Amino acid sequence: MEEKKVDIIDNVNTYLSFKLKDEYFATNVKKVLTILEMKPITKVPNSPDYMRGVINLRGNVLSVIDMRLKFGMPTTEFTTETCIIVINIEIDNEELQLGILVDAVDEVLEIKDSEIGESPSIGTKYKNEFLQGMYKLEDGFIMLLDIDQIFKTEDTILNKEAESLVGLVDITES
Amino acid sequence: MEKFREKFIEEASDLINELEKLLLEIEGDKANNELIQQIFRVMHSLKGGSAMFGFHKIDQFTHHLENIYDLIRNDKLAISDDILDVTLASVDHLRNLMHEGDDSDTRNQVQHDLLLSKILQISDENTINKVTSLTIQETDNRAIDELATYYISFKPKKNIFKFGTNPLYLIDELCDIGETKVFVRTDNLPDFDSLISTECHIYWDIFLATNQGINAIGEVFIFADDQCDLKVNKISDINLLEEESFLGIIDETIKNQKEIDINQLTQLTHDLEKVFIRAQKDQIKEKLATTNVDTNISSIRVSSDKLDNLINWVSELVTIQARLSLFAKETETNGLVPIAEEVEKITRRLRDDVFSIRLIPVENMLTRFQRLVRELSHQLGKDVVFKTEGTETELDKNIIEALADPILHIIRNSLDHGIESAEERQKQGKPKRATILLKAFYSGTNVIIEITDDGKGIDPDKIINQAILKGLIAPDTELNKKEILDLLFQPGFSTAEKVTKVSGRGVGMDVVRRKITEIRGEVDIDSEINEGTKLTIKLPLTLSIIDGLLVQIDDTKFVIPLSSVDKCFEFKHTVLVNSVNNLIRTDNNEIAYLNLRNLFKVEGEAPETEHVVAVQFGDLKIGLSVDNIIGQYQAVLKPLGKLYKKQQSISGATILGDGTVALVLDTNQLITQFAQDETKIGG
Repeated sequence: MEEKKVDIIDNVNTYLSFKLKDEYFATNVKKVLTILEMKPITKVPNSPDYMRGVINLRGNVLSVIDMRLKFGMPTTEFTTETCIIVINIEIDNEELQLGILVDAVDEVLEIKDSEIGESPSIGTKYKNEFLQGMYKLEDGFIMLLDIDQIFKTEDTILNKEAESLVGLVDITES
Repeated sequence: MEKFREKFIEEASDLINELEKLLLEIEGDKANNELIQQIFRVMHSLKGGSAMFGFHKIDQFTHHLENIYDLIRNDKLAISDDILDVTLASVDHLRNLMHEGDDSDTRNQVQHDLLLSKILQISDENTINKVTSLTIQETDNRAIDELATYYISFKPKKNIFKFGTNPLYLIDELCDIGETKVFVRTDNLPDFDSLISTECHIYWDIFLATNQGINAIGEVFIFADDQCDLKVNKISDINLLEEESFLGIIDETIKNQKEIDINQLTQLTHDLEKVFIRAQKDQIKEKLATTNVDTNISSIRVSSDKLDNLINWVSELVTIQARLSLFAKETETNGLVPIAEEVEKITRRLRDDVFSIRLIPVENMLTRFQRLVRELSHQLGKDVVFKTEGTETELDKNIIEALADPILHIIRNSLDHGIESAEERQKQGKPKRATILLKAFYSGTNVIIEITDDGKGIDPDKIINQAILKGLIAPDTELNKKEILDLLFQPGFSTAEKVTKVSGRGVGMDVVRRKITEIRGEVDIDSEINEGTKLTIKLPLTLSIIDGLLVQIDDTKFVIPLSSVDKCFEFKHTVLVNSVNNLIRTDNNEIAYLNLRNLFKVEGEAPETEHVVAVQFGDLKIGLSVDNIIGQYQAVLKPLGKLYKKQQSISGATILGDGTVALVLDTNQLITQFAQDETKIGG
């Protein structure tokens, strides 16, 4: 019995929760580099809507993703609480920094693995593969996101588009 | 140790490259003694290093190779093509050995034995009396000449133990900095009855041979300074402790004398020194011949990571400085503007200097071309000489690296297809020996590299036939000469009638063009039948900073590279909207324009007056409409990030003075991408 207890205590993870429209999400703080105030975003022409553009992060260019659009919600409206969470994701063993636009940052939570519930397969519009699970609050749920997964598919989609584009060019040239 | 080995491999690769270069140089100038000396020196350093880091095979191998050049150096052997062939092959082999370590595979082993036997054959044939100086050099260790001998008289005060100082530790420490001979003097020791065990009664005479100077000795005693009587005297500039006679003398002196008389000692050592120095002189002479005479450090080795970091910081500084200048202008605080201007001046100079660090002369990549021409012309039975001009022209290291492969390909093509056999050349009345010339020079903010051969040139009719055959163009297409030659850069085009080992494997000039475009360069070809072919490569000076024109569309700011900007015009919005077929009248002619507002799907209304920036697109001028032209801007290029990699019309981003991001347009890509839809857009 003693051993089991130790196991559970070992698996406490810290999460940062944030708000998109009326719903709460969270990501492991290991993924979070910093939180930025909203600043002017430069739109890159002819890119998908959810890719809001680029900002200057200490002299480097950072892509910003509108999480609301990414999850099929209406475009983020800027308020004083709107902010950009800079996260570190891993695609093909390559680290990549990315800004995600959220309506508000909520709090930092310590959640034991045992407290994470399975995400229900019905009643939620989000794909299970993007979710690590659910954390139950007194008055609702926090959805724990698997950020790497979300952007892994992002990358493959982009790659496919790029490939088909290259293919097209080849045909027209020859 | 692993780290040192890596360092060695890096250094050894440099040595091998240098060796290769020298060998190619000496081929054209066989009587040059200075070159032979240099070759010998390089081999010797390579040998020394590899022995030290456990590359025994390389060590052995170079040792035998070195023997040959020692013979040549001593005029016992004349350098010949055979020897050069073997040495060049050895250079390749050394390179393999270096990367695979000593446990290389059997093929390498065979190669190793083969070369070794050739080398031994050459050196054995020519060694009549094999008394070379080599054996001496090997046992002879360096650094002897830097040692000096000191005499230290160390007399602790009686109360030294009260301070917690242990004299023996101090002596131990001395032993650590060099070779020592320590004598304990016990003659002050009182009788056992009157001995006080908490007091120190003994003292020491120490002879120390070290290369660390007198200060290092002082440091040992730094905390015991006032607890002892210390005398430190330099008695000789050489290591006397190695000399038997000296040891005998001091043994004698210590035995007989209570105090050592310094004057007497220095006089003695002075006499001894003369003898020793004469003995050493011969050894030193040899060392001078083998180690690099040039001891001044004129360059230091820095890892390119560090350089990249430095450049990043400078780029950031440039950005911050732009912000400072903007802020100074806006706030109009007294005194801030001059400071901002000063910072701007210094930043600019710093930037120029730092960016120039990364520039390396074109010369650095020439050796492999030279090698290629040498080997391939032998193989193809053609007599070709490779000439270079303007090799001091400098380019960014990254560009040079990216350029090597395309140029190799171009030269290979030249040798294989361009240059005729010697007989054919004679028939044409051309000199028997063909020339390939690589010429580099600056042109504005660009560097031009021209590769010219005097071969048979390219027949436009052949290209057309080939292109029709491959379905690249329709049979009735009318093309001018430039367009025809440009077909060579089409994917899947190769004029080689049969596939040779050298070229003609289907991949060809299209890869060359793609590689060069990747580093923002351009490549063009020109050719006259029977006169030769010329390839012109135009490159930017650096990849990380560009001069641009800052423009604005809606809220977004863009940078158009100044190198492609031709002229700017102002137009009423209504004129643009009503233009027929997107053609607008400028000066005396009509040019086509692209409405960037529409292409970029920018929402909102265009201002009443719009601007059109005419950019060069091949031989054409194309206008790009923007809302506003802000001015010239030095843009530090930043990658846009992985997620935007399919954005071909935007080559990167830059950070403006106010901290926002501007996008850098790649006008060539932009126009190519949208040219097809040209008629649909605008209006």
